[in-house]
Amino acid sequence: MDQGEVQSFLIVFSAIALSLAVTVVILFVLFQKRKNRLLKQQARDKETFEKELSETQIEIREETLRNISWELHDNIGQLMTLAKIQVQMEGSKTPQLEEATETMGKAIQELRALSKLINPEALKSLSLAEAVQLEMDRFNRMQFLKASLEVKGDSKPIDPKEEIILFRILQEFFSNTVKHSKASELQVLLNYTDSSLAITAKDNGIGFKQKTDADSGIGLKNMRNRAKLVKAHLELFSEKNEGTQLKMTYNFVD
Amino acid sequence: MSISYLTYVIVLLELLSAIFAIINYKSYKDSKEKYFLYFLSFTFLADFTGSLLGDFFGVNSYWLYNLYMVISFLFFYYWYGSILNEVKHRTVVGLFTIIFLGVAIWNFVFESWELYHKYTFVAGAFFTLVCAIFHFWQLLNSDEVLEVKYKLSFWISTGLLLFNMGMIPFMLLSEYFDFSSNAYYIFIIIGLNLILYGCYSIGFLWTKEKYNRS
Repeated sequence: MDQGEVQSFLIVFSAIALSLAVTVVILFVLFQKRKNRLLKQQARDKETFEKELSETQIEIREETLRNISWELHDNIGQLMTLAKIQVQMEGSKTPQLEEATETMGKAIQELRALSKLINPEALKSLSLAEAVQLEMDRFNRMQFLKASLEVKGDSKPIDPKEEIILFRILQEFFSNTVKHSKASELQVLLNYTDSSLAITAKDNGIGFKQKTDADSGIGLKNMRNRAKLVKAHLELFSEKNEGTQLKMTYNFVD
Repeated sequence: MSISYLTYVIVLLELLSAIFAIINYKSYKDSKEKYFLYFLSFTFLADFTGSLLGDFFGVNSYWLYNLYMVISFLFFYYWYGSILNEVKHRTVVGLFTIIFLGVAIWNFVFESWELYHKYTFVAGAFFTLVCAIFHFWQLLNSDEVLEVKYKLSFWISTGLLLFNMGMIPFMLLSEYFDFSSNAYYIFIIIGLNLILYGCYSIGFLWTKEKYNRS
């Protein structure tokens, strides 16, 4: 191959190699960019969908609770009041009847308290501290465990919709304590600062083994989803026989 | 042994990609790409026959190559016409087919059958290039962009794009450089064929059935 042939070969070769290289690079960049954009969008869509799903779930739950609350208050409550009056009307006042009247009175009181605590409308008129205090009183009356509430700092108003969600998270925690933990004490602390509210709830029950997020129960998952919805930071600590502790930080928005 | 026997490397590449196409036929049998199995077998046979005729019987086989070239480009246009979704794109492909046929017939009539019809190739390759770009545009604007490496049509288009991208300047520059006197140009041709059949083979080996449903 003489000088001229080498030169012409090199020219043709470089022209072709260059055009190919440029094409490959352009193709790769285009496809990669587009792919990343699509992936990001899918992630966003998924987040929106999950948020909507959580909101719908909460709505359905609140609606159910509202109906139960009305049913308890207006129907069962009325029937029990009637029963109490009927017993009181009985002429022969034996000690058993007196006791029965008293028990019925207590039952009616409990029923009203419960109906109030699960009714979202009633909760709206209460502050978070008041609602938690009612719940604590209920536990103390039932003598399941010794419950106490402590409030630090000046309480600030929270958007009622978000307040209900915070309260439902706490209720979920309380119901776990009552149902599973065999605890004898339950302490709740609401710590208000200028920018945030730190909620701590802990029991001295049997606790549970820390599980990974993937296989944690529905209750835990619900708590986390709801916390996410109001942008609260939620942490659960538990050790076997060391009790369970819930820490939640809610930031006030201006 | 003359360097021109290196062209059998290309025939071998064609055979290999046809074999890969047969092996993995079930993962694309429901798509329009299934015709590529027959097309690649046909390519291999045409090229093999052409080379044999030329090298062992001394027959000028350019008429066979020219015929093969016209059929192959028409096949690509038919294939793109069936996989492109946009009506505008399909219309353009139809237009390409007509223009290409015009060019091919013109060359068959007015050019010697004993020469390679370079301008038929340039026109055909350019139109194929545009078709491949249409197809990329379609992929980029659909969810398929996420799993594009499993899609056979993506690999075929990539191969066609790169091959024609390289061949067009090669053909056009042959006006100014005498390629027949410089045997080393065979390496460029082999390189480009390696890219083309390499892309086909990757496509046939990687593709998954669920991404090839039309």
